[in-house]
Amino acid sequence: MLRDKQPVTITADTHPFLNGLWKQNPVFVMVLGMCPTLAITNSVKNAISMGLATTFVMVASYGMISAIRKLIPKQVRIATFIAIIACGVTVVDFLVKAISIPVYQALGAYIPLIVSNCLTLERAEAYAGKQPVVKSMLDGLGMGLGFALALTCLGMVREVLGAGTFLGFPVFGSRFEPWVLFLLPPGGFISLAMWLLFFAWRKERAAKLAAAEATQ
Amino acid sequence: MSSQIIPGPGGTGPGAASPHAPSAANSIRMVRLLGTVSLMCGLLIVVTNLATKDRIQSNQETITRESVAELLPGISKQVTYGVEPSGELKVLTGATGEGKKFFAGYDGSGKLVGVVIEAGERGYADVISALYSYSPATQTIIGFKVVDMRETPGLGDRIKSDIPFLANFKNLDAKVENGKEVHNITTVKHGTKKNAWEIDAISGATISSRAVGRMLHKSVEDVTPVILKNLDRIERGN
Repeated sequence: MLRDKQPVTITADTHPFLNGLWKQNPVFVMVLGMCPTLAITNSVKNAISMGLATTFVMVASYGMISAIRKLIPKQVRIATFIAIIACGVTVVDFLVKAISIPVYQALGAYIPLIVSNCLTLERAEAYAGKQPVVKSMLDGLGMGLGFALALTCLGMVREVLGAGTFLGFPVFGSRFEPWVLFLLPPGGFISLAMWLLFFAWRKERAAKLAAAEATQ
Repeated sequence: MSSQIIPGPGGTGPGAASPHAPSAANSIRMVRLLGTVSLMCGLLIVVTNLATKDRIQSNQETITRESVAELLPGISKQVTYGVEPSGELKVLTGATGEGKKFFAGYDGSGKLVGVVIEAGERGYADVISALYSYSPATQTIIGFKVVDMRETPGLGDRIKSDIPFLANFKNLDAKVENGKEVHNITTVKHGTKKNAWEIDAISGATISSRAVGRMLHKSVEDVTPVILKNLDRIERGN
């Protein structure tokens, strides 16, 4: 799942937490972790649960990875990262089951798939494997919450349009005919495209404004 | 994955390993590190499993008990029976676990209200598991509830919530003679239900509706003869 991406450069003036949350949002900016983004966002509740589960895995495993980063031989670093992330995922799997069975049933196969979410491995390789423990955990927290935020944005559009509800509560009158399409896989792609379009438009507008200011 | 990862040009990975092919000492170091990491991860998983096991089981138990109470309104006591491969009944202490089983529900005066039976069948996507309530007195199905499924949202998943569809299971004929249903429970096309043993399919969710019909047919022939045979015992609740 890992693609050849330009390594993400972390400038000294970006706080590791805010960086992931907004500036390099994993979904809207880096476009990583598309599998859960498209698959699990058909309701707000699922999106939030998945985002929080991923955040927990990232914070816990990046702490561990960063703590032993100087001991890991370069040749086996990916294997070590995967072993630690997989361990975190298994722990989350047990915890979600212990907290709520309905949430576990909704997330189903996607919890084990956090391991193969390219976002988790990408941040381990690009950040946690090189940076001190606290910074790495902050990066995991920021990236995880940024991921959760993006998933919730998608889930909101899909649940409101596809089921006419928000977090299970009806938002339209009984005469609203839900657009089932938004709950189905194509709806995931359409919502993601709309959000990416929105962010691209904002970025372009900001650049234009900056250019206009510079010429004045 | 190859056993040896050649570092790319200009790679700046962690650790102080040499950029050349690993030497023997290096290999031992890798094995030792991976071994230690795996061991620690394994320990962590075991500890979490032990810490959450009871909680997970009691969660599952609560969910099953709540579903049974929902399917048999007015019950105040539940007894879980396991069906042994020999056809014998056994009272179980917990509501969860493997094997064929059903739940008998009794009202405040100790009278048998009905039984709730577990059933499962392959749907459009993965297995649909469900519970249904059955009245031995009238030999009919009196309620149906989907427990877990992966059916298409907005189409197949309506078997869980569609009110006209669920109305099929208010009084569905499930009479059994000599281990066979007198009239097989079948799913019919939407709007063509005529008989008490037919299930009116949801239009647009035919595959999921049919799976429910097959599930009930199989389970009724499988479990209800055992219930009817042991009805005296179940009524006494032992």
